[in-house]
Amino acid sequence: MTARGLLARRGTFVLDVARLDADSSGTAVLGPNGAGKTTLLLALQGLIPATGEIERPARCAAVFARPAVLRGTALWNISTVVRRVLGATPADADVRGHAMLADVGLSDVAAADARTLSTGQRQRLALARALGCEPQALFLDEPFANVDADGRPALRALVRSYAECSGCALVLATSSLADAAALCKGAVVLQKGAVRHEGAVVTLPAADDIYVKALFSEYRVTS
Amino acid sequence: MPAIAALSVAVSGIATLLAALVAIPGALWIVHGRSPVRGALMVFFAAGLGLPPVAVGLAVAFALWRSGPFGWLDALYTPGAMAFAQFVIVLPLIGTLAVVAMRGGDTTLPMQLAGLGIARRHRLALLAREVAPGLAAATLAGFGRALAEVGAAQMTGGNIEGQTRVLTTATMLAVGRGDFGQAFSYVAVLLGIVTLATGVALTLQRRWA
Repeated sequence: MTARGLLARRGTFVLDVARLDADSSGTAVLGPNGAGKTTLLLALQGLIPATGEIERPARCAAVFARPAVLRGTALWNISTVVRRVLGATPADADVRGHAMLADVGLSDVAAADARTLSTGQRQRLALARALGCEPQALFLDEPFANVDADGRPALRALVRSYAECSGCALVLATSSLADAAALCKGAVVLQKGAVRHEGAVVTLPAADDIYVKALFSEYRVTS
Repeated sequence: MPAIAALSVAVSGIATLLAALVAIPGALWIVHGRSPVRGALMVFFAAGLGLPPVAVGLAVAFALWRSGPFGWLDALYTPGAMAFAQFVIVLPLIGTLAVVAMRGGDTTLPMQLAGLGIARRHRLALLAREVAPGLAAATLAGFGRALAEVGAAQMTGGNIEGQTRVLTTATMLAVGRGDFGQAFSYVAVLLGIVTLATGVALTLQRRWA
């Protein structure tokens, strides 16, 4: 997935990203609140008006920071989306739904009303719903922000494994360096809607940029 | 009495159903569409909320009058004319309440469904399903308004016994004759129908919610 000359506006905020590439090795989008991480993800998916050249696969899926669920059971939330995106039969979609719920550790709440789930459980459900669609590009916006610390490694491994097995391009917007390091090799650091720094995630600590250094020390405290 | 009550329910029910079939897709278009003219439909819905039934009745009666523009339809003083007038009366109400119901939901849901790659027509169906309880309430409110209005029913139906007499026009006639006992019995049936419809709608809402 590639983007060139991306320009998007949301109110008075302007996002101006000259280039961004992402493949299955993953690209993390880092930056403080208000830097434009979410706007960049939305623009890449074509969910907000943007100009520039964007090449993305036909089948994309996203997990939002505050995942919305549909009225119905956790299982139905996955199966109904899988049916509509992949054209699966109801029986196949249910089988897939059960498998995805097991992958994210939600088998025990398969029959529960999705709206009664905790925020962390909803994030797990949203991840299962997105992966269930077998995306060729996956956009994750703070996908583990409300997931308990013990549960994060398994979810990171699930996403990493899916990307490696399927070749799915991965773009992760996050404030957690731990999530970025676990899922992505590449990183771009945004400042007020523009790319301030880009390179490998592992080289961020050594970046010769005072802004990135300041950010990184902050991440160390919070991640 | 049973025939009058049945005609009331049939006329108002058909008017409400048709209005819902137009108003709900219209509300979906207002809330989730992209056309700049959708604002005009919202203005039409909002302005129509205060539309006096007697004004609608007058307009429909004029249009269907023998020498009027649609006189050739020969539809004045028929249940069809009454249903059409009630359709016009309740359309803005159902449309406005449907818009309110749709805007009251999770505002990020449309974008999240789009983010999963779900086709637009499937997204709209899922979004309508999400607010089904609110849409049911909007439709019920429309039914109540259609059933209770009297001005349009009188003008477009003519209160002809056995043909276009409904509970509200029959009540007016009974009061005019000084037969308050009969009038109260019509009103009691009217209230019974509204209560029953409300009960059914609330039950459906509880099951859906």
